[in-house]
Amino acid sequence: MANIVSVENVRASYGGTVALDGVSLEIEEGSSFALLGPNGAGKTTLMNILCTLRAPQDGRVLVAGHDVVRAPRLARRSIGVVFQTSSLDDRLTARENLNFHGLVHGLAPKRRRFHIERVLELVGLQDWQDEIVRTFSGGMRRRLEIARALMHEPRILFLDEPTVGLDAQTRQQIWEYLDQLRTERKITILTTTHYIEEVEDADVVCIIDRGKIIAQGSPEALKAEHGRRWVQADVTHAEARKAILAQFPEARPLGARSIVAPAESIEADYLQTEPFKDKLTEIRYREPTLESVFLSLTGRDLRDRTDGEREAQMAEGRRGGRR
Amino acid sequence: MNEAIGAVRGVYGVWLREITRATRDRGQMIGGVSRPIIWLLILGVGLNPYFRGEVYGQVAYVVPYTYLQFLFPAVIVLNIMYTSIQFAVSMIWDREFGFLREVLVSPMPRSLILLGKVLGGATVATTHGGLVLLLARFADVTLSFGEMAAALGFMFLLAFGLTSFGIILAARVRSFEGFGVFSNTLILPLYFASSSIFPLDPSLTRTQAVTSYPEWLVFLTRANPMTYAVDALRGILIDFNQFPTVLGPAIVLGMAVIFFVIALIDFNRT
Repeated sequence: MANIVSVENVRASYGGTVALDGVSLEIEEGSSFALLGPNGAGKTTLMNILCTLRAPQDGRVLVAGHDVVRAPRLARRSIGVVFQTSSLDDRLTARENLNFHGLVHGLAPKRRRFHIERVLELVGLQDWQDEIVRTFSGGMRRRLEIARALMHEPRILFLDEPTVGLDAQTRQQIWEYLDQLRTERKITILTTTHYIEEVEDADVVCIIDRGKIIAQGSPEALKAEHGRRWVQADVTHAEARKAILAQFPEARPLGARSIVAPAESIEADYLQTEPFKDKLTEIRYREPTLESVFLSLTGRDLRDRTDGEREAQMAEGRRGGRR
Repeated sequence: MNEAIGAVRGVYGVWLREITRATRDRGQMIGGVSRPIIWLLILGVGLNPYFRGEVYGQVAYVVPYTYLQFLFPAVIVLNIMYTSIQFAVSMIWDREFGFLREVLVSPMPRSLILLGKVLGGATVATTHGGLVLLLARFADVTLSFGEMAAALGFMFLLAFGLTSFGIILAARVRSFEGFGVFSNTLILPLYFASSSIFPLDPSLTRTQAVTSYPEWLVFLTRANPMTYAVDALRGILIDFNQFPTVLGPAIVLGMAVIFFVIALIDFNRT
């Protein structure tokens, strides 16, 4: 099948900081593509370029065959976007938000009514359609945004961190809608996330770090290629940590308190004997997952998930405080 | 053809959103109604006996209208100024809370997005100006249907220019608080220095005017475009003009065009 998104050697920077450093990728029509990386890796910048909000400094981006710099309005017709933070008008009702979207996409009254009913049913918000969005919970808002992005029947759906700040049950529900869409409507889905468990079902996972793509492939292929079984030991005692690092050349520090090493290079049993025994607080095996793929490739953990949640909460608090 | 219908729908959508939001904003509506009542009731009624010449036995100017009639068109302009310029807060709101992105990723060109916004703000402001017209009888201003229509048309044009002006300010002052303070310190001086609450007697030459009013005030008033807007509306409502009749509409039209173009240049840059 043809590629519906094509990114060639894209560069972007904010002031002096490089956000994207020569990124290239292709997305096949009808596939599910996940962009995985820690906060600040350049995911949102790439997303903004793909949905024409920002022009790349260098390189070429084609979305549904249209150059996003030369023909942004044509590219926009084919895309639906769900942003990381809410872009709903929370003084309007759910239905008014959808109707607005239909109008700015130039849909005729009949088609607007038809599509409003369709997407409301899809996300199960029919009973709430005439309520003001301000009264909605985070999960309901997110569902409404997904519904809105689908109003004009886009060929590609861009979702930037669609589940940040939501509880596990809502996250599950949102992924169910997305899977349903993909199978029923053959829509191409591009998501960014730093929740590793959410990309396991994607067709292609692209790992991005510090503005560069460091690996790309199906989750299985990535795990087979880069995934290793790791041993992680949390050592509070600095001396002991040094001693372990000195003894096992393949071991490396992780964060301030832990050490990781490929499972075959270290004897977990040994760590539990003298002199380390009392200095370990925890020792565990990490099976080959995409998380350990990230660890293998960067030597760092995708550990900023808690940061992401905290940021989302703070943003929520700021919004709440203003009104 | 399809493209054109789509564009009209888009502008209508942006406009409709502003109207819907305005009808839900009680504070703005209360302000729109109470402001003119206070001005006409307290300032207008209070100063009415002192107009027409006699101030402590001294004859000043003779204007063939009561003070209430004289003030009435200016209060309409004041109401439009407040609503139009404050409307730009919604631009800051859209940017701050992310709604702007929803519009920017739609196929609508930016010029039409801005046009929809400005039309929406101008409609709300014209409505607030129109509310004052309901007090016409109370201020002893009699209006024919034609005068009413002409007044509303002129008010809409003025509101269009002032809404664009507010948006230009909002593009520079990007915080809610900053904009609120800034716009308030701008609106009242512009209003007071627009010959809104005192006349520059047309029968006097400029030198004579200067002897009665300090030169800086005469200069400010003549330099202030709002002077000509108030004057044009007086022409329509009470047949009283201090300046040539074409001057007011021409300046207001110029304001609408120039401010919209500047606002558009700003908006294309974001």
